[in-house]
Amino acid sequence: MSTSQSTRISQIITPERLRRRRAVFYSGVLLITSLATWFMADLLWRNDGIKGIEWALLVLFVILFTQIAVGFVTALLGFYVINRGGDRHSITRTVDWDSDAPLASTAIVMPVFNEDVSRVFEGLRVIYRSLQETKKLENFDFFILSDSNQPNQWIQEEIAWVELCKQVGGFGRIFYRKRRHQINKKAGNVADFLRRWGKRYRYMVVLDADSIMSGEAIVKLVAMMEKNPQAGLIQTAPRLVYGESLYARLQQFANRLYSPIFLAGLNYWQQHEGNYWGHNAIIRVQPFMEHCALPDLPGREPFGGRILSHDFVEAALIRKAGWQVWLAHDIEGTYEEGPPTLIDSAKRDRRWCQGNMQHAWLITVRGFRPANRIHLLMGVMAYVSSPLWLLFLVLSTVHVFNQVLNPSQHFNPEIYTSVFGQIIEVPEALSLFCFTLLLLFLPKIISVVAVLQEDAAARRFGGRAPVVVGSVIETALSVLLAPIHMLFNSKFVFFTLLGQGVSWVAQRRGAEDGTDWREAIITHGGQTAFGLIWGVSSYIISPAFFWWLSPVLAGLVLSIPLSIMLSKESLGRQTRKMGLLLTPEETEPPHELRRLTQNLAECYKQMRPIELLRADYGLLQAVLDPYINAVHVSMLRQRRPSEESRDWFSLLRHRLLSEGPESLTPKEKLALLLDAESMICLHEELWRHPGALLADWWRLAMRQYNVLTAAPITALYR
Amino acid sequence: MELSVESVEAQRAAFRPKTGTMEAWNAAYVRAEDYLRAHRIHNRLHQSRLIQVLLERAARRHAENPALDPTTLVAEETELLMDEWFGEMLDVKDMPHDRIAIAGRVALLLSDGAEKWPYGFLDPRAAPAEFMTAMRAGSMQAGPDMAVSSMVPREIDLGPITEAAGETLERIEKWPLLRTLVLWLVFLAALLGIFYVTR
Repeated sequence: MSTSQSTRISQIITPERLRRRRAVFYSGVLLITSLATWFMADLLWRNDGIKGIEWALLVLFVILFTQIAVGFVTALLGFYVINRGGDRHSITRTVDWDSDAPLASTAIVMPVFNEDVSRVFEGLRVIYRSLQETKKLENFDFFILSDSNQPNQWIQEEIAWVELCKQVGGFGRIFYRKRRHQINKKAGNVADFLRRWGKRYRYMVVLDADSIMSGEAIVKLVAMMEKNPQAGLIQTAPRLVYGESLYARLQQFANRLYSPIFLAGLNYWQQHEGNYWGHNAIIRVQPFMEHCALPDLPGREPFGGRILSHDFVEAALIRKAGWQVWLAHDIEGTYEEGPPTLIDSAKRDRRWCQGNMQHAWLITVRGFRPANRIHLLMGVMAYVSSPLWLLFLVLSTVHVFNQVLNPSQHFNPEIYTSVFGQIIEVPEALSLFCFTLLLLFLPKIISVVAVLQEDAAARRFGGRAPVVVGSVIETALSVLLAPIHMLFNSKFVFFTLLGQGVSWVAQRRGAEDGTDWREAIITHGGQTAFGLIWGVSSYIISPAFFWWLSPVLAGLVLSIPLSIMLSKESLGRQTRKMGLLLTPEETEPPHELRRLTQNLAECYKQMRPIELLRADYGLLQAVLDPYINAVHVSMLRQRRPSEESRDWFSLLRHRLLSEGPESLTPKEKLALLLDAESMICLHEELWRHPGALLADWWRLAMRQYNVLTAAPITALYR
Repeated sequence: MELSVESVEAQRAAFRPKTGTMEAWNAAYVRAEDYLRAHRIHNRLHQSRLIQVLLERAARRHAENPALDPTTLVAEETELLMDEWFGEMLDVKDMPHDRIAIAGRVALLLSDGAEKWPYGFLDPRAAPAEFMTAMRAGSMQAGPDMAVSSMVPREIDLGPITEAAGETLERIEKWPLLRTLVLWLVFLAALLGIFYVTR
């Protein structure tokens, strides 16, 4: 570390104290893992010592149990911190909130990629208004960084941007940038912003398309950065909100109820060596630009090539340069949305899995801090542990099969737990099982108890009884979901290793907006069959073993109906009506969330285009509407095309007007939309051509468009 | 010679296209109406006055060259009229058609002119000073002034084991046959492993 870097040591906690905290954490993990390993080894030892498959089982057990122990110790430490009234050594306590903290120029950036435009811009409006109410708006600029490559989304974004700026007076403060080439996904999108405008700002707050942050939270983040010049990045802990389906409501309930102790525990031992989760965080621009440009990894995708999950790596790079990374877990007013269904969640996991597995390259990078290596390793293990669990369970089945085949080695129920020579009349396996359950469920129980202790806290979750019932439902369903996630993730890891993509069934959303039977059967069919075959085989081998396995088997066998049931919004509404799975954001919604709900309800009331026009409505508007055409053209870079490309564009324009948009490929449509000259010509030619020269589609579009624009609105949110 | 308002109105009322079919002029009328409505001109009275002006201008050109389609002529006349009007409202001269049309429409959108001054659209006499000011004041800035800088990845030392693994992987990728062989070997090793533990 250079001299300038060494000056950026933490002033919040002394190195000795931090070392003590980490010693407690790692010792706790080691102690618990050792204890469990001892039980396991003892259990495997009983039949003629540990051999072959038993060694494999033991090694897998140690790896997997360490992961459980990390979670458990983190939760325990978090409970300790919360019970003491919070951590004295946290970034949020460095600022005197009663005084007017100084701020600095900050860009709020929101990278978007084919998202629901209404949600993106209404979210931005809420953040803008909330910042306006803090009376500190002059320090902030907003950037929508679009990588959308669907014409409909792109045009809607442009319209929504203009409308939003008009409505809030945001021209000159809210900006929109669409990239022509979507290089390096989100990380490339943000890097492109930094290369163009980064020097203008001291900080940037990175949001996701579904992020919401209150003005107060953003102001606090900037104030903390100003107060702590050694801080390079502060990550907040976004709460999951707006869950409608049963699955989403379960996730947000669990997130809200259990996460506080985990977050407090995480901050306890990691302190200024925290992690970056990609959004709802503030970043010091200058060091980020200097140190966090992502290098390519050796080889090609899926393992090599461009880094897909950029956030962990960026945190490690900025830490390597000596800047601090903090977790401001106690900042309120930071939100995001979760996936609505189990299948959507799996699709997200598929992307994250590939990205996290790439991190295996980076664990041994020279100069990375040990804490960052652990973060990277934990990211890899989040997915690799699934096939390891599967292997562990399959090997256990084989082990039992071997014992059945060899009656001399058959399981002896007389084997009792032995601790330091003292025999306890409880079967050894049952002791280990109970110990594992304790580690898995105690953090949940502690979280519930912590909430039940306070009247106000319990009320925010709907009351004492609903918290208990809700956590029982959540726990039962999470037990059933765990093996499904295990099989999904195992498949993703396997496919990533083989460099293969995973194909998904096209969704057919009905009025209920849930997973349909066809989608569920095709997606979960393999899991159900696997569960059935495994269940029948294990029952044949040993009925006792079948019952041990039954929680895993139940989830797999029931995966199809479970996936459908959890995707239902009606069930989500029903639980809400019954006062179950409520979160504080539902019982006492913050101003920003209430405002967003109202605004979105207004948006979705708008008439949608008729079915025949819907697929190409963006193109329709950009060509036909005089205002949208003008806005779109004025935002395109004027270029001088070659004669050849001019002829090609002329041909495309002719086909588009005389044969309709279905005669063009998506690439051709995008090419036209990117060419300013073509867009000007198309608008003029469309309105000049007599009806007989136009495709039926355009004649219908002209008639329908005027019906829809009868109200004086600028086609926003259609 | 100055014409009285009544005589202008009488001339307007007496307007008949001298050339072209009724169907063609009806289609031209509908197109002009559609285009004005696309500009959010929902004031029927003002709309019908504008349409008549446009049709008259188109009819004069059609009389000179009946081979042209009235719909095309009306659209062209609308563009010309709008270019003139935008030039006056934005106080810009000699700007090419493309640019004035785009700049004018954007200014009109930003000022909400079509809704706020429903009689002012395309009629310089009826456009109040505030309308003109609002159109000139509106500006749409998609991004602030650029402050270009570089953001270049630094060399990263993956460590000796990872470097060696990376080099091996890159070498394997260059030899697809070798990659297939390695995959088969892994598969066979897995089969052997399963055989060993279940034999």
